[in-house]
Amino acid sequence: MSNQEALLEINSLHTGFEIEGKTYHAVKDVSFDVKPKEVVCVVGESGCGKSVMSLSIMNLLPKHNGKIDKGEILYKGRNLVNLNDKEMNKIRGKDISMIFQEPMTALNPVLTIGFQMDEVLINHTSMKREEIRKKSISLLKQVGISRGEQIVHEYPHQLSGGMRQRVMIAMAIACQPQLLIADEPTTALDVTVQAQILELITKIQDEVGMAVLLITHDLGVVAEMADRVVVMYAGQVVEESDVDRIFYDAQHPYTKALLTSIPRMEEEREVLNTISGIVPSLKNMPKVGCRFVDRCPDAMPECSKVDPQLGETEKGHSVRCLLYDASHPGKKTEVR
Amino acid sequence: MASLDDKTIEKLEKKAKKQSPWSIARRKLLKNKLAIISLSFLILVTVLAYLAPFIAPYDPNFVDIMNRNNPPGDGYLLGTDNAGRDILTLLLYGARTSLTIGFICMFAVVGIAIVIGSISGFYGGWVDAVLMRFTDFVMNFPFLVFIIVLASIFREAGIGALIVVISILSWTGAARVVRSKTLAEKENEYVMAAVSIGGTPFKVIRKHLLPNVMTTIIVQATLLLAVMIVIETALSFIGFGVPSGTPSWGNMMSEARNPNVIRTQWWIWIPPALAITFTILSINFIGEGIKDAFNPKSLK
Repeated sequence: MSNQEALLEINSLHTGFEIEGKTYHAVKDVSFDVKPKEVVCVVGESGCGKSVMSLSIMNLLPKHNGKIDKGEILYKGRNLVNLNDKEMNKIRGKDISMIFQEPMTALNPVLTIGFQMDEVLINHTSMKREEIRKKSISLLKQVGISRGEQIVHEYPHQLSGGMRQRVMIAMAIACQPQLLIADEPTTALDVTVQAQILELITKIQDEVGMAVLLITHDLGVVAEMADRVVVMYAGQVVEESDVDRIFYDAQHPYTKALLTSIPRMEEEREVLNTISGIVPSLKNMPKVGCRFVDRCPDAMPECSKVDPQLGETEKGHSVRCLLYDASHPGKKTEVR
Repeated sequence: MASLDDKTIEKLEKKAKKQSPWSIARRKLLKNKLAIISLSFLILVTVLAYLAPFIAPYDPNFVDIMNRNNPPGDGYLLGTDNAGRDILTLLLYGARTSLTIGFICMFAVVGIAIVIGSISGFYGGWVDAVLMRFTDFVMNFPFLVFIIVLASIFREAGIGALIVVISILSWTGAARVVRSKTLAEKENEYVMAAVSIGGTPFKVIRKHLLPNVMTTIIVQATLLLAVMIVIETALSFIGFGVPSGTPSWGNMMSEARNPNVIRTQWWIWIPPALAITFTILSINFIGEGIKDAFNPKSLK
């Protein structure tokens, strides 16, 4: 496999929830790919479908009403959508693993750290118990926990938030996965610990040689970590490009608005910039037209009549906005 | 700050090591005097019951035809019943029967409840709907009528049949408790995390959900033990429980259906009545104690 071929390729993914007999799409027509050893950040406000998208990849949607309606998720060319639970279990934790947002709740409170760490290796290898325990302790050392021998006998409530997240990372990398999905891994931690954890993820990524799909709403994290950025709004990808172009040459009004809401050191201001309004809920999603139209400073009359399509404005930079759609009269003239 | 000497540090370290939820609960339980006294009483009763063949003064089937309805004293410590059997002996052998039925029914009921409740709660959807409607169905059986019919049909089968009948009719409440607790627990992220590392549903239920639901199950089981003993006693009292030849607390109580016995022969029914009351009471105190011990909010 050449290095440029995608490790994970998501094509036109539609994930919906069935509520009172109707299907509402939390993820609508999302496509992007992740190449080996690359860090891709998915950004967007709360309720943009970031987490649902990541759960779709792992096939962890709530069974009773969540469903992938359309589209494919290709992992090394294999469509994960069609796999049954048994086949999926072989991939989960081994090829693709996941770190959750809340290290407080993502570890089982009544089981020791060692028990929970061993489980990954029990699920996916045929190693002996003693070897597994040794490996777990060495994994803890790899994520910077020096007292591994003691920690394996302790319970989650005896560890700090940062330590627990380190344990989660150690579990996630136990089988040397090709892809790590991190769903807001630092949101629940305080700022100094956040930096340590991000540093750790970068270090581990180098050592293991895995790709990282990082889901976050913190643009600071994006600037630090990402190779490429996917901006999501209301279940759709609105802009996708490499990290520099997102920060210095953002095109979609939503991305621009996100960037202006970052407080800056050199400015003195009383009130922080915000984007007015909220993400429309699944039930109130506009049926036709751009989903950002109500909050968009550059909205035009056509915006609420025509569905904008994701199109390339330059190589490696796609935007979903009529302003950049050549076939529309409202097209901005200064587009390069 | 005062410096800590080595001994204190060692103590603290030892304490820190014993931080498993189980050891915390055990420590709390050991501090609960009422629960400990009750537990000691229950253990004493159990030991006496199963040592009955060795410590009982007479054979349970020994009938002293000349000394019927004797008051306490005179060779019979607690007197004799209307067939001339020794009350103390009957009490000890009766304890064995009643406790055996209670324990076996409890384990059977808890077993069924765990299987049905955890599967129902974990899978949800139609599996849950089917299992819960089945639970409702069993729950709505007229318990007494059903048991009387079955007990009359399987009269010859004895205690075994009674245990089966009680068990298959009594698991519903516990199954619902296990289900609701599982429903609440499975929303926790650690369940999703367990699936995300490649755990099969069976493994996730067994290794992750059950240990968290276990505290509730243990409390339920304790209280169920009391209920099971009461059911046995009640059924035997009305004559549909343990076959009348076998001594049990309920059978001994059934003598008291005769008003004459209640009025004049207190030694026949007071001992089993007290034994039942104190046993049930102590089991309930133990149950409450365990509940408190597992409750992180209780300050005891």
